[in-house]
Amino acid sequence: MNSAISVKNLTKTFRTKTREAGVSASFKAIFKPNYKKVHAVNNISFDVKEGELVAFIGPNGAGKSTTLKMLSGILFQDKGECRVNSLDPQTQRKQLAFQIGTVFGQKPQLWFHLPAIESFNLFSKIYELDKEEYTKRMLSLVKKFEIEDLIHQPVRKLSLGQRMRCEFVLSLLHNPKVLFLDEPTIGLDVVVKKTIRELIKKINKEDNVTVILTSHDIADVENICNRVIIVNKGKIVYDGSFERIKKQYLAKKFVKVLSETPINSFEMKGVEIVKKTKFSIELEVNTKETSMGKLIDFLTKNNTINDLSVEETPVEEVIAEIYQR
Amino acid sequence: MTLTKYFEIGKINFINSFAYTFDLLASSVFVALILFIFVSLWKVVFGGQIMIEGFTISMMLWYLVMTESIVTAQGHVVEEIGEEIKSGQIANYLNKPYNYIFYKYASNIGNGVFRFFLTFLVASIVVLIFLGGITIPLISIIPVLITVFLAITLHFAMMALLGVFAFWFEDAKSMHFIYQKIVFTIGGMLLPLEIFPFWLERISAVLPFSYVAYHPAKLFVNFSFSSFFSVLVFQIIWIAVISLFIFLVFRVCVKKVSVNGG
Repeated sequence: MNSAISVKNLTKTFRTKTREAGVSASFKAIFKPNYKKVHAVNNISFDVKEGELVAFIGPNGAGKSTTLKMLSGILFQDKGECRVNSLDPQTQRKQLAFQIGTVFGQKPQLWFHLPAIESFNLFSKIYELDKEEYTKRMLSLVKKFEIEDLIHQPVRKLSLGQRMRCEFVLSLLHNPKVLFLDEPTIGLDVVVKKTIRELIKKINKEDNVTVILTSHDIADVENICNRVIIVNKGKIVYDGSFERIKKQYLAKKFVKVLSETPINSFEMKGVEIVKKTKFSIELEVNTKETSMGKLIDFLTKNNTINDLSVEETPVEEVIAEIYQR
Repeated sequence: MTLTKYFEIGKINFINSFAYTFDLLASSVFVALILFIFVSLWKVVFGGQIMIEGFTISMMLWYLVMTESIVTAQGHVVEEIGEEIKSGQIANYLNKPYNYIFYKYASNIGNGVFRFFLTFLVASIVVLIFLGGITIPLISIIPVLITVFLAITLHFAMMALLGVFAFWFEDAKSMHFIYQKIVFTIGGMLLPLEIFPFWLERISAVLPFSYVAYHPAKLFVNFSFSSFFSVLVFQIIWIAVISLFIFLVFRVCVKKVSVNGG
């Protein structure tokens, strides 16, 4: 399979004005502004295959959007190179524009006062689409996203979820090979989020669109993407499957035990007692050091267990931990 | 194919401008008020005189009808572009297969044509009621419309240039304010340049600002083919020069643009 995106040693540094507090400092800054260099993206490399669904996550200011913007030709890198569909976003921005689609959760592209259909028609002209083909594609997308009843109403009358579905159709009209989604589910309710996720998966599968998604909602990532790239402070700190994060970082499990007989304190490698009462105990287990089976064997042998529950560390916490490294 | 693209952009803006009916009505009322005030004012100033600096009272007021229509035809281009650069909304435009500046131009012409005719209609009604009509040669209509179109284009170009400076300066509003006042005064929007002292008239007449307001409006009330051609040439020169600046500045800036908010 071809790689849809390849990024090599990409680096981008911003110069931002810094200013100290106070009147005299502000006055000084007019004549001699201080600049601070910020490495927004620092020497990152990765490859995305055609048809992959990749989540690009990281804390605020980690460099996600900057990377996406470089990939879509909006920003220019200082060093390194990137290719999207073997095009160079820096020099072939216009050609690239025909092949990529974008949905920015926070920057709507639909005309607010007009029905969505007007925006669709405009985009068909902007992307120089053949009229017949466009009509066919538009109708099938409209059906897929179930917005038949919405496209003739002014966009301002739609709910955020309905609007978002229209935004998706708008960005898919020209049949892009690569789709950039920047926080597409921001501000949506649980049910709508789920629909949007299903739709993203559907587009990816049916049209073989490569999807790059950024989100702060880990559930988005868990439910949509088979690959996760975590960036922090401009660097890639993790690149792999979501499952691997779980295996690698979710070694800790919490075990709660209720017993009919009093529980005695005990010691076992990789097991830590978090809380203990006479008839109950809470344990933190590192499954790399002790197998769950061994622990449960031990517990059942020494106690009459009434109830037992095993919990994993929430993924959010794991990701937060990765962010903080 | 490329041209139809921009034509469609203009069209959708034209349709979209109907969404702001209240805005349009409000500005129409304002235009009507200004014209009414100026009708009363010039009646007093003219007193018994037939001409002031080569203008009759009806020329003076129809001149104002024209300058008002041209200058108010376009919205707040400077703020619009400045705001899009500042907020990072520009990202939505930069990854599309069109040129951002042409996109903005097409949008504003779409809006502008509609607003021009609306303002012209409202202002004409006021002047017709309170003063009377003006006779213009039929043959002048098309040449005047051409210069009006170029005037709107030039007006856009200057505002776009100021807007693009938002890449460097934080606030585009103040620049818009200054520019507006320049067009009001030495652009000849409120008063024809003949009213000024001779030296100021000469300087103002060659600056681009007067090709937005003064020259096209003067042509409207006092048409001659020789002045039409000279206005046309200078408008085209200024549009070319300013466009060149816009593209230079934009090219440099886009390379080092740091799209805010990400």
